[in-house]
Amino acid sequence: MDLGFYALQLLTGLAYASTLFLLSVGLSLIFGAMGIVNFAHGSFYMLGAYFLYAFTRGQADGFWGGLLLVLATGFVIGAFVERIFIRRVYARPEEYQILLTYALLLIIEDLVRFFFGTGYRAFPMPQAFAGPLFLFGTPFPSYYLFLIGLAAISALLLGLFLYRTRLGAWIRAATQDREMLEALGVNVPLLYTVVFGMGIALAALGGAALLPMQAATPGMAVDAVINAFIVVVIGGLASVWGALLGAVLIGLVQALGVLFLPEWAMVFPFALMALVLLLRPWGLLGRPPAVRT
Amino acid sequence: MRLLWFFIALVVLGPWLSEYGLKLASEALILGLYAMAFNLLFRQTGLLSFGQAAFFGLGAYTMALLVARGGWPFPATLPLAFLVSALGALVIGFLSIRLSRIYFTMLTLAFAQLLYAVAHKWYAFTGGDNGITDLRPPGIWGESLFYYYAVLFLFALGVFFLWALERSPFGYALRALRDNRARAEAVGINAFGHLLLAFVISGALSGLAGALQGALQRSVFPDYLFWTRSAEAILATILGGSGVFLGPAIGATVFLLLRVVVQANTEYWPFFLGTLLLLMVLFFPKGLGGLALEMARKWPKGERRGASGS
Repeated sequence: MDLGFYALQLLTGLAYASTLFLLSVGLSLIFGAMGIVNFAHGSFYMLGAYFLYAFTRGQADGFWGGLLLVLATGFVIGAFVERIFIRRVYARPEEYQILLTYALLLIIEDLVRFFFGTGYRAFPMPQAFAGPLFLFGTPFPSYYLFLIGLAAISALLLGLFLYRTRLGAWIRAATQDREMLEALGVNVPLLYTVVFGMGIALAALGGAALLPMQAATPGMAVDAVINAFIVVVIGGLASVWGALLGAVLIGLVQALGVLFLPEWAMVFPFALMALVLLLRPWGLLGRPPAVRT
Repeated sequence: MRLLWFFIALVVLGPWLSEYGLKLASEALILGLYAMAFNLLFRQTGLLSFGQAAFFGLGAYTMALLVARGGWPFPATLPLAFLVSALGALVIGFLSIRLSRIYFTMLTLAFAQLLYAVAHKWYAFTGGDNGITDLRPPGIWGESLFYYYAVLFLFALGVFFLWALERSPFGYALRALRDNRARAEAVGINAFGHLLLAFVISGALSGLAGALQGALQRSVFPDYLFWTRSAEAILATILGGSGVFLGPAIGATVFLLLRVVVQANTEYWPFFLGTLLLLMVLFFPKGLGGLALEMARKWPKGERRGASGS
């Protein structure tokens, strides 16, 4: 039990937090701009992993190209799903919007089972990350650094995009007042297509990036979306920085849980969420609602 | 009155059914009770629970553990299944009914999956994914016709309870909260307390349905708690029409018949379930019951059906 050991746990937690962030930030973004909680979000995360596998035929040398392709495909599929399905229910009560994405969760899980089978799909570690690195004399997978870097860069780019570009300003405006934005001449339906595509692309990237560390299974979709819910409930729904904070907290709690009470590790994220719900139900970085509904 | 005729028909139906028909009819009644418990929330409060399986499974496991490990007679476990599920709903509801309906839906799904994961991993207590098997109800309870009538009796009890609840001041308060929470709170209705009580009732009835299903199937597995089990209550409700009082029970019957046909031909049942839900949400959000009511309205048979909904 030396310094290296604890550093390793910290890194493991942060690496896990990185994929959690990619998964949850899209959920937050979509809810913020469109007011829709996407219950199929984990399904697209799962699709990202399976797509990387399919695009590269499970070969490590296609990793980088495959990752880019997953990101692009994720965007296209997200935009497509928004156009075909989600768009039809904007005018409906929110229950029906949720039910629609829930139906997608059921459908995509079985589609994956149909096309890829029920077994595990594992991916070899890409060449660049084959060897371990050392921290205080303890070896750790160099891929951890890639995951952390990927999430950090994504967060930075997303922040720049949302706060430094015109399109980003519109997306933020959509979270405040959709009608006003539309009155100002912004094509809000197109904006929604872009936001949904972006959110799905990020989730798919997260799922693909985790694949070399963790094999894909058809059951991962619902676990992923629940993890994303826990993250956004803790951080605050509709808040990008909340998703980041929530992901880091859950990553660390999970890593500590595995360290001290492995059998109960799975319960800790829920316990943390329950605590937040009792003390600050709108999340650590969320805004308290003006009127409770 | 129509409700009474409905039950008389179900009583008369019993002796005419084959062994398989009785099993299927019992299952339809159980799923109907489960879906109606779900719809108590959905219709009266607007709360969309994606975690009803938590209570269905809690009830089933309470029954199974008491029978298999405690040696209890099956009928005596039913009140306990009811109570344990109510208690589970109290805890989950206390955490989930905090902020908004969207949070509620997310959290019920999350907590139900937590229970599933626990049941799945805790081999020493729940038997893990081996489940608890060989739950043969004693004596006459093991006979299909008797069991059908027992289920029918409890189903009827549940339905009359929900019917009375809808017409009680409590039911009016729930609908007031659904339609305009701020105004309902302004006249002094305690929103959190009312919604929590509705959730507990819904959970308790779901637990009763779970216990009945476990005894029918003579085994309980973690998939009683799995999220697709919650989806069954939702789909039965949407299929039958959430706005019609008996809609979920009608939907449950159609749902089971569909399942028999589909599962005979393909293993991809969730795909079918999802596609059906998608089509219902997009094109027939009022369900079969809603369609029937609309038809009845287009060709009115006198004035007695002026009031809609039940």
